[in-house]
Amino acid sequence: MRRFELLEPESFAAASAALLEHPEAKAIAGGTALLILIKHGVYVPELLVNLRKIRGMADITWDAASGLRVGALASLNDIERSPLVREHLPMLAEACHVVANIRIRNLATIGGNVSHGDYQSDPPTALVALGAVVELSTATGTRELLLADFLLGPYETALEPGELVSAVRVPPPGAGWRSAYLKFTTRSSEDRPAVGVATLLRLDGETVREARLVVGAVTVTPSRMTDVESYLGGRSLDAGTLAEVGRMVSAGIQPIDDIRGSAAYKRRLAGVQAERALELCSTMGAAR
Amino acid sequence: MKQLISTTINGRERELAVAPNRTLLEVLREDLQLTGAVEGCGVGQCGSCTVLIDGRPVSSCLTLATNVEGRSVTTIEGVAPAGQLSAVQQAFLHRQAFQCGFCTPGMIMAVEGLLRDHPGAGEAQIRDYLSGNLCRCGTYSAVIDAVKDVIAEVGAARDKASAG
Repeated sequence: MRRFELLEPESFAAASAALLEHPEAKAIAGGTALLILIKHGVYVPELLVNLRKIRGMADITWDAASGLRVGALASLNDIERSPLVREHLPMLAEACHVVANIRIRNLATIGGNVSHGDYQSDPPTALVALGAVVELSTATGTRELLLADFLLGPYETALEPGELVSAVRVPPPGAGWRSAYLKFTTRSSEDRPAVGVATLLRLDGETVREARLVVGAVTVTPSRMTDVESYLGGRSLDAGTLAEVGRMVSAGIQPIDDIRGSAAYKRRLAGVQAERALELCSTMGAAR
Repeated sequence: MKQLISTTINGRERELAVAPNRTLLEVLREDLQLTGAVEGCGVGQCGSCTVLIDGRPVSSCLTLATNVEGRSVTTIEGVAPAGQLSAVQQAFLHRQAFQCGFCTPGMIMAVEGLLRDHPGAGEAQIRDYLSGNLCRCGTYSAVIDAVKDVIAEVGAARDKASAG
């Protein structure tokens, strides 16, 4: 691999200070995204700040009032296997489980996943649907942003110089919500998503009381389909309603072409997958 | 600048001087002559470089060597004493779960990881866990059979032990 130097600070404060002192340097945690870019020559670093020596930043905790808090250095496999996540936020466990393969999920961290800002990823779509918040910290303080506001574009986030994602928080979803995350790949089953749909439903018998629908991996950041959410309120999820949702998603989304499908294909696919995700959520979605 | 790290490789403590840009796979193969893990894709997709770090399977091609400081690494060379085969290796041999053998060390390390995580895994779980290990000879169904054999043996041994 191309030569670069590594700083290996032993505390979060020292890591933040190192990033402030070397504005051209990037932080590296699991390395599964960054090392591929370096190997491909897309990213040519002189210096990386390795976070491996920082302790106590991989904890996963749950509080009834504030919800889930995942330390930035928790691996995707830590999250998918966490009994707390599986109990309270099964959709997040699923969205982590469908990433790549077990070897990658053992290395990749949630902090790295959201900081990388790659739109072709599963966890951000589920996290945006769940109203997740990122904690952005420096040596001196912490601010919070909705993940939806943190993700600005492909590989672009709201991180300021010297800031690192220290944790991802998910508020408690409240009683009666069902959820589902549905991934579609166009190459191998372990590939990044061509489309990912995260949906939450609060049902009263057959009738939708509240819905949330986020389509990921087709637009530069996950797209929350608020018009579909309001349309669904008070309706039952019959064939006619689902078909109209598919039509609304296809009409409303602005996909981009990429290696996993043309914009026209993804437009069609997003609608179909939204219908399937809602159906999955209403029939199989774990009730919370 | 090289960094000095101490780590455990196949149960043996080692002091290693590693350059910051070197992967674990490069250090295993080039510095330690542990050539069982091989580079297929180099980007974490094929699984032929799978090793265990603290019992968990990872792609050694995407792991900075410095990251194994204070950790325990197990490679295919460490799954059984010299001259012997582990239960997983034995089952692969019995089921002929390989042809050219390029993917086999990675495949076996992934199975070792599976057995630690899910010792009683059913077929769906086996397939799910191994889905990222590619075999271009197409020995997948023999691999699944081999893993089922090992899980059945372990289960039978456990039943026997608890009955005895």
